[in-house]
Amino acid sequence: MISGARAYTDNGVRRWLARAMARDLGTLVVPGLEIARLHGLDVGAAGLRSVASPRHASVLLVVGALPPALCQAAAVLYAQMMRPRIVLALGDEPLSPLPSADIRLGLSQRELLEGVRQLRVLLADGAFQTTAIDFEPAILSTRTEYTCPMHADVIRDEPGTCPRCGMTLIPREAQHDDHTGMDHAAMGHGQPEHKESTDHAHAEAHVRPESTDEDHAGMDHAAMSHGQPEHKDSAEHAHADKQHGDDHSDDHGQMNHDDMDMDFMSMVEVTRDLPRGSDGLQMDWLEVPFGPLFPGLPGGLTLTLTLDGDNVARAQASAPVGIEQARLTEPDEVATFVERISQTDRLAPLAYRLLVYRALENAANAVLDANSIRGRVGALERERICSHLGWLAQFGQQIGFGWLARRAAVLQLAARNADVRKLQQLRPQLVALTQRLQRTPLLKQRLRGIGVLMDDGGLRGPVARAAGAYDDLRLQEPAYQDLNFETVVRPHGDALERLRIRLAELTNSAMLIDAVGVIDASSTFAHMEAFHHLSGSGQASIETPRGAASLQMTLDQGRVISARLDTPSTRHLPRVASLIEQCELGDALTAVASLDLSPWEVMQ
Amino acid sequence: MTVFLALVSMLLYIYVIAVIEASLRTGRVNAALPLFAALALLGRESIVPRKCDRIFFETAPILLLLSALLAAAVLPLAPGLMITDLATGALFINAALAYVLVALLMAGWGPDGAYALIGGWRFLGQLLAYSMLIVMPITAVAMRASSLLTTDIVTSQAELWNIVYQPLGFVLFFIAAMALAFLPPFDLPTAQGELAGGVEAEYSGVRLAVFRFGRLALITALAAATTVLYLGGWYGPWLPAWAWSTLKLLGVASAMLVAGHYLPRIREAQLLAWAWKFGIPLALLNIFLVGVLVLVLS
Repeated sequence: MISGARAYTDNGVRRWLARAMARDLGTLVVPGLEIARLHGLDVGAAGLRSVASPRHASVLLVVGALPPALCQAAAVLYAQMMRPRIVLALGDEPLSPLPSADIRLGLSQRELLEGVRQLRVLLADGAFQTTAIDFEPAILSTRTEYTCPMHADVIRDEPGTCPRCGMTLIPREAQHDDHTGMDHAAMGHGQPEHKESTDHAHAEAHVRPESTDEDHAGMDHAAMSHGQPEHKDSAEHAHADKQHGDDHSDDHGQMNHDDMDMDFMSMVEVTRDLPRGSDGLQMDWLEVPFGPLFPGLPGGLTLTLTLDGDNVARAQASAPVGIEQARLTEPDEVATFVERISQTDRLAPLAYRLLVYRALENAANAVLDANSIRGRVGALERERICSHLGWLAQFGQQIGFGWLARRAAVLQLAARNADVRKLQQLRPQLVALTQRLQRTPLLKQRLRGIGVLMDDGGLRGPVARAAGAYDDLRLQEPAYQDLNFETVVRPHGDALERLRIRLAELTNSAMLIDAVGVIDASSTFAHMEAFHHLSGSGQASIETPRGAASLQMTLDQGRVISARLDTPSTRHLPRVASLIEQCELGDALTAVASLDLSPWEVMQ
Repeated sequence: MTVFLALVSMLLYIYVIAVIEASLRTGRVNAALPLFAALALLGRESIVPRKCDRIFFETAPILLLLSALLAAAVLPLAPGLMITDLATGALFINAALAYVLVALLMAGWGPDGAYALIGGWRFLGQLLAYSMLIVMPITAVAMRASSLLTTDIVTSQAELWNIVYQPLGFVLFFIAAMALAFLPPFDLPTAQGELAGGVEAEYSGVRLAVFRFGRLALITALAAATTVLYLGGWYGPWLPAWAWSTLKLLGVASAMLVAGHYLPRIREAQLLAWAWKFGIPLALLNIFLVGVLVLVLS
């Protein structure tokens, strides 16, 4: 029995269809494919087909722990998935408000394969059940209220007629309380409420083929926003605006219709109160959420774009999965603190573990031997290779470059736990990838001049180096100086330069690993007992794959009493809005993707 | 009987093209995959978004399929093996394919979803880029054949295929056909990483099955059109006529699918700029050159 079965009695034909469904498993990966790959999961090799729209998915694959914000977003996605649908969770963390997982296994490729096998059996046997289980978490609940098309202040819970003019009341979706600040006026569109005009033509659209699937009742198009439960109203605005031209018999609230010729649709009148775009045209503005589980962006990153046509009029970027400052500075045992910092960035766990150990070692004035330092260099550079390859795979997906998305993912999985010898073997393939991308037609034209960020001292890592800054902490580290390390810098600061920088760093890092000849960080970490009675303060910085991160911590008797963390994505995220405003939507998303933001390391 | 045979061939081509597309995606050839995918879609729920424009939403996938089938109806696979040989065949291809835009706009507007809506708008822009590059090369092809009959167009290539006679027209038509079928790198209306499926995003179950089938039929029709207009249709040594048509058609479709796999998605602004700055002047040049050739050679 699966929790998302369809409500139909089983028969021969349906059993046949169920078997076919068990062979074609469209999958949404939460928090994202990039996280799955970091855990060594090859979703495609396991027989799952990653899809972009929840409407096309039948499997929700949850990888590891989800922060509360992502759990909610995943529940919204699950509600949009078509039945029969199934939840496969790898890891043992709670998923509420998602339904409990149909299959729950450990976090490894072997268990994923086993999960897919079980899932096929479950789907083939239980896709059709006599009764379907409803999925109605509170975040998706909607209430229908009835209002008069002529008198917006008349609102009733039941259908009926308007007490003032006698017109039939029309249904509309009631607002959640937390949406009160989200009306048109608050968004600065200077536009009255139009929602009441929406349902005239579409009352019959409530008819749905499967009345048993009541949990879809809350699924208007706003719910199709990739895990963003908020902002339902903005979507309705869009719809209301669309109706605007067709339906002049409505009173659009504050709009003055007296001077309007009702016999023809005057574009001047229709667009009069609409916001004016940068080109002077007045058009509908749509507020559209991209994320936190959008296929072209890293899981956990949310962009809220106000679109003027397909032009980004306003943008807002946030990372609901980021680190809470209060939680970071909460006094804690040193061992717990180390774990917390290490798990901060799910996209670069080793860099953060190294960072916190360095800070501790500095506080304790510990000195590492040369071999340990070399081992750490090797491990950090391998993580850089994996991170850049992971970014390339995601970037390939974002810019619709199928070959790149697949090739980079394959290389990332191969490099993930590779030793020095294996990485030596991979090096020609990394070089080949780089050369291939240099020769790819359309790629330069696609990326040149997109998302230009020039260095002003606030940028970090590859983003800064692509803008001409020699911003690389490795240049100051003796271990790297011994290896004659030179960083790559390029002048123009656009998406193409960022791609080039990361490609150059792939081979550079492979050469560094070759030179140190060892990859071993874990054995260099001192046992926690060494820090149990430590008092004092320590500071450390490290060049993570996304740029310099630094940590300052004060300890008292083995307890961390204060800490301050600075991460590259925290610096880059606030730049996003100004970077993409007035860009075409595709260019805007490419620009954001080219920054390689990690929402997990953003300080809230 | 001919009509039945033509339809069955069309179905077979669609299936093979679906297999090629799936193989490119998964990296493995599995001939059963499209069958399972189609059956799975039939078994899945197909919902209507709550505030959709029901007529547009329901009509779009069917209209897409119809326009592809209508275009394919005038394209001969062998002498006599076609649904209808219209006197205005070459013109009719254009007329039928014009409804692809209408279908996509409806699919974008219908579901009342932001991603779909933007996808629909994008295709409207895309039309401005590709439409003239479909029409103008066909004009040059018809000039050489001195006829709009598609069978005449094939027989006009008995001596020399149009791909050699007017290579410029072939290149323009091939690229425009990819843009018309919104294949990568021209998949602006469905862009996965930008619009999470765009015009397709809100379709599910049987409606999605019809939409995808329509898309495959469109690719098939355009591959057939390329074969008929530029690759000498059924002409070729040793093999029977239908076999040559089949080989050429599948070859063209594979080339279209493979090309997109190795290219990043094009920017809409650049697509429009290139189409108008280079595409249309080149298409005019092609018409001029073909005109001169026709004059000289006749």
